[in-house]
Amino acid sequence: MNSDSCFTFTCPVKTNSGNIALENLPVELSGLNAGKPLVVTNIAKVGRKAVRTLTGAFGDSGMSLGVFDSLGDKVDPALIEQLRTTFIEEEYDSIIALGGGTIVDSAKILNLTVSLKITDVRNLSAQTPVNRNLLPLVVVPTADATGLETAQFARLNGAVLSSEYLAPVLVVIDPRLTRGKDVKTIYATGLAALGRALESHIIAKENPFRQAYSFAAIRFIRDNLPAAVRNPDDKKTTLAVINAAVMSGCAFSGTEARPLHKLGQVFQEMLKIHPGIIMGMCLPHILDDYLHHDGNGLASLLHPLTGDEEFAQTPEVQRAGAAVSVLHRFMADLHSAPGKDVPQTLREAGVPPYAIEDIFEVLDVDPNGVYLRSVVERIRDKTPMAEKKG
Amino acid sequence: MVLPDYYEFCCRVKIVAGHDALEQIPGLLSEKGAKKPLIITDKGVAGAGLIDVVSRVLQDRLAGILIADNVPPDSDLRIVHQLAQFYRDNGCDAIIAVGGGSVMDTAKGVNIVVSENASDLMAFSGAGALKRPLKPLIAIPTTAGTGSEVTQVAVIKDHEKHLKMAFLSYFLLPDVSILDPRMTMTMPPFITAMTGMDALSHATEAYYCLQKNPLSDAHALSAVSMIYQHLPMVVQNPSDLNGRLAMSIGACLAGIAFSNSMTGIVHNLGHASGSVCGVPHGLAMAILLPYGLEYNMHKCEDIIARLLLPMAGETDYLNTPKEQKAQKVVSLIRQMNEDLHILTNGRHARCFREVKDREGKPMVPRETLPEIAGAALLDGASMYNPEDTDYTDNLMVLEAAWEGCPLDLSKVKKG
Amino acid sequence: MEIVEVVRAGGKPFKRAYVSIFLWFTGRAIQAAAKVDEQVRREFNSLPDDFTFSLGVLPDGPWMVIGREKGQVKYLGGDPEGRHLHVRLAMKNIETAFLILSFRESTALATARNRLITEGEVPQALAMIRVMDIVEVYLLPKMIARLAVKRYPSWTPGRKFFGRIGIYSRAMLGI
Ligand SMILES: [Fe+2]
Repeated sequence: MNSDSCFTFTCPVKTNSGNIALENLPVELSGLNAGKPLVVTNIAKVGRKAVRTLTGAFGDSGMSLGVFDSLGDKVDPALIEQLRTTFIEEEYDSIIALGGGTIVDSAKILNLTVSLKITDVRNLSAQTPVNRNLLPLVVVPTADATGLETAQFARLNGAVLSSEYLAPVLVVIDPRLTRGKDVKTIYATGLAALGRALESHIIAKENPFRQAYSFAAIRFIRDNLPAAVRNPDDKKTTLAVINAAVMSGCAFSGTEARPLHKLGQVFQEMLKIHPGIIMGMCLPHILDDYLHHDGNGLASLLHPLTGDEEFAQTPEVQRAGAAVSVLHRFMADLHSAPGKDVPQTLREAGVPPYAIEDIFEVLDVDPNGVYLRSVVERIRDKTPMAEKKG
Repeated sequence: MVLPDYYEFCCRVKIVAGHDALEQIPGLLSEKGAKKPLIITDKGVAGAGLIDVVSRVLQDRLAGILIADNVPPDSDLRIVHQLAQFYRDNGCDAIIAVGGGSVMDTAKGVNIVVSENASDLMAFSGAGALKRPLKPLIAIPTTAGTGSEVTQVAVIKDHEKHLKMAFLSYFLLPDVSILDPRMTMTMPPFITAMTGMDALSHATEAYYCLQKNPLSDAHALSAVSMIYQHLPMVVQNPSDLNGRLAMSIGACLAGIAFSNSMTGIVHNLGHASGSVCGVPHGLAMAILLPYGLEYNMHKCEDIIARLLLPMAGETDYLNTPKEQKAQKVVSLIRQMNEDLHILTNGRHARCFREVKDREGKPMVPRETLPEIAGAALLDGASMYNPEDTDYTDNLMVLEAAWEGCPLDLSKVKKG
Repeated sequence: MEIVEVVRAGGKPFKRAYVSIFLWFTGRAIQAAAKVDEQVRREFNSLPDDFTFSLGVLPDGPWMVIGREKGQVKYLGGDPEGRHLHVRLAMKNIETAFLILSFRESTALATARNRLITEGEVPQALAMIRVMDIVEVYLLPKMIARLAVKRYPSWTPGRKFFGRIGIYSRAMLGI
């Protein structure tokens, strides 16, 4: 271990995953001194059944809970201010976010406003200090999670508020809620998890605490995503994919934004495309760049991407290259499975040609803009991956 | 990596590790809004000059530092209340615990009393009595072994009433753990060896116990690799700062793994031999670890086999036939004990027969084994062991570990 | 604002009924086993004279209570209210209780999955878990009991046969 200076890692999130995980919520909440949670979700996204499964899990607990199921696609400051008022007037003491993506961002911002007594949500910015414990926030992810639910930041229309206190105190992954509506959903969730886990793993070369999370996330995606996209209704493999998503958010927190993550974010914020779709498209195109810039980092991916046997058999100098070809094969295999359901080009993903210019404008502001732009150019001009070398 | 039907995993501790990790403390305290920490430690740690190192770092950046160095080797209720009073009298607002298991336990106990404004600590014993965050607690371990800088338990003894109370809560987790090699560098080889083997036993038991899960597995595998590689190095060369840091990190990873996956027969029998004969915990772990693996072999051979790669590395892994991999893990751990025995000039015992006290008297007379086997039935670690253990099982393992000869696997009851 | 709907948690009568009956029978079976089985008797003899134990479901039951009274092990009904309990084993919710008591998850696995909350002194709790494991071996056919305990014991056919008859008939009659 030759780290000259020091490194840190923290993951404030407790994970409960598996069979009847939801039913433990009453006990978990009471352990956090909470007894009256407000559930926030978007019923158009998660479906009525998911909401009923969640509230049904409180059966026999004697508790009562509030349910707000009309969050929109965006984090809406006016709505959050309204919810804040209700939360305080009705004396709720905790928040359960059901779903993924902006649902959880809204929940994090709501928690901030009720815990720190912030009345004007529009005044929140990246500079707002968040330096003490907030009220208990529980996240119950569904199949369309982005992986950032467990991350230590919240996004509020372009601004990123960052603090370890923003992370949920508990994430509950229940197989009744992780089955994908369709192939595309679980594919996107899996690739967002993979992309961030890969980037975290590469950055975390000398941070085994972070690597514990990224290792497990990558291994789970490798073992389960191919089966999950072939059968998005399968409890076991989708549960594993959501586990990987949750772990990837933990691993990713506190690292600098890397190309895949950054590209996924930009498309999501501007065009509401699940970041996993874009990350999946970009992944094969940036591997060679990693190979030139950070061979060691790539080499460290081989073990989670393969297994003990293959890793041990590959001589050290060949590991980076081997990791790249494993990833190419993995992506080709994923794309061969679901056929046309998964968008493999920007057009298929619903990106209108004129929007690319807007994307470029945003990317140009980034310190790494020239490079990010070149990646987008590459995917714009490329044919679908399945037809590429295998 | 297998996803269990159900699992829970939690480690909220912020880990700060590195050669200048101590220097981060003032910043970490001010993030928590704390200005006046109470340093809790023991005479041994203070005598080794470690508190001087910490104070020197904090001096120029904090107004005042208070030090209490009277933690006994065994946590004590009276001292907990006394330290809590000291904390209140001086208007402290955070705790820095510098030491091993007993210091950590004491600091956690003090934190309960001062945060809950309790008059009696015992009211908070058991699981679930704490419902909200406590005062900021920074843990600085001075051994690379117990892992108590990342565990949610504290054991406090009431020596007057002869009671041992356990406290269990995620709120007992320290806010921050500082892993700085300067804090373990002065540890003598013999102590380094046995505390290191304690850490190795945490990682190994976490990897095969019933509560294992993907995240405890990932921590355990990485811990096994770091500890196995670096332990002989730091025993041989105590001032190897890089090796010391790696050991602290390995022990911390192992602590995270076992506090989420629990421990089994090795700790079960180790706790019992400690309470009956006073065998130091780490030494008992070193002796019992190969036997624990053997005892559970028929239930988890493929799991044990997976420890070979992080221990032995690629070449040995590839050169060992599949069906011998698990057995190879056991023999590597036995060999590690042999090496440590030589490196410590025989002080690191390889079997219970060899454990001696300061006067050189054997600490575990053979006649005490039945008593240890019985005492083990009173210890909770048995719950998480893959195979069931009863009195006769315990005695069989203890006898083999006393003698120092491998377990006769055909005699292990398989139900 | 009416946008927030308030949902009161409902009940689960069927599962509650199953769990209640099961707990009632287990309580009577433990009382019977303490008379019939030597090992169970020994476990109870190691416990305090007024030892009281409760097993049940959070947050409010059903429960069963077992205790020692004048040297005898007795099933004390389903209400732990107001009693001093030495050991309480609480299953976290009714679904968990159903899972464990329909033998889809062994006690050991349920413990490893944090499904039980143990209160009281560990040695006493362990003794009670051993007692319950023995009772399960008596009550259940081998195929099911194998799933409920870590290692199926190799008892003499006599111990199992006569013990089983003794415990079943006594539990039914409540003696
Ligand atoms: Fe230990």
